Amino acid sequence: MAKVKKKRVGFVIDMTPLVDITFLLLTFFMFTAKFKSEAESQQKFTIQRPKVTPDTTTIPQNDLAVVKVAIDSVTGDTNFYYELTNESDRAKVWGSVGELTPEQRQSLQLKVTKEVLSELVRNTRIVRPNTKFAIDADRRLRFQWIQDAMDILRRQQATKFTFVTEKTGM
Amino acid sequence: MAGGGESLGSGGGKTKRGSSKRKAKKRIGFRIDMTPLVDITFLLLTFFMLTTTMAAPQVMEMSVPPEQEEVEVAQSQLLQFFVRDDGAIFFSIGADTPEKIDPKNLKQIREISVRENMKPENINKLIVALYTSGEAPYGLVVTILDELNRAEAMIVDQMKKEIDPETGKPKERQRRFTIAPILPDQVELIKGL
Repeated sequence: MAKVKKKRVGFVIDMTPLVDITFLLLTFFMFTAKFKSEAESQQKFTIQRPKVTPDTTTIPQNDLAVVKVAIDSVTGDTNFYYELTNESDRAKVWGSVGELTPEQRQSLQLKVTKEVLSELVRNTRIVRPNTKFAIDADRRLRFQWIQDAMDILRRQQATKFTFVTEKTGM
Repeated sequence: MAGGGESLGSGGGKTKRGSSKRKAKKRIGFRIDMTPLVDITFLLLTFFMLTTTMAAPQVMEMSVPPEQEEVEVAQSQLLQFFVRDDGAIFFSIGADTPEKIDPKNLKQIREISVRENMKPENINKLIVALYTSGEAPYGLVVTILDELNRAEAMIVDQMKKEIDPETGKPKERQRRFTIAPILPDQVELIKGL
């Protein structure tokens, strides 16, 4: 009995390896964590991207222009949105379009009509001709919406673009 | 942990300062209570593990021909896919009557594309065209594009293995693909099928 009691009193676990591993994992997750972009946290919709076979292509990070076609989660209507990642370009392009409220000028993405979208794409191409274009649309939409977006890009000579998709099984 | 508390307690209780004996004793019994550290670390770890999203969006490359271009093509070297308003998919080789593709077996698209593209007379000549109705869901169109892209990968793979007797190197693949809205006469063609 006495022996057992003694053992319990001096019971110490060396936590060093545990702390080592935990810190390692913590650092890993801290570095790989990617938070929602500002534009994403402002928007009132989530895009259900079309699913494709996984491969290694990822969305470019710099000088990207995204044409989003999304269903508003509150009202349920579909709209075009336009997002530019490059800050200085954005100021120029947004500035070139008339009738914007000061609030809209500050925002990262604009809710646009087809005509305004066309103008924005043209101005983006003028400001930075090598801007990469992407279409980020909801998989539930009628293809006509995407066809329209493609036509707009094509008319502004942006014949190379990408569809934003999602890996299957995620 | 108990050892740590003990040594600290004994150190504070003694009135003598600066004795070398005490210093040595302190060092031997030196222990830091790691529990709060571990607590916080685990908390942060859990937070980052739960918030992190590993699934970065993927992209599918597309290119469309510039506007003015109108190209006349021989119908024999044309593989057409049609997507009807209701999402039904049809394919037609050359001038053949369109045939329906089983919606549960979209792998068929890949098989047809590879088979037709790898015919010796069609290599680098066949044009694959996808005609889509504006009413079809976008997700379906991307699925078809995905199948065609996978077919393309298989074609490139197969062509790499075959050596051109003239140059001694495998032939280079030139993909010919186009996507366009469905035309009224094509709609008529697949209406009753």
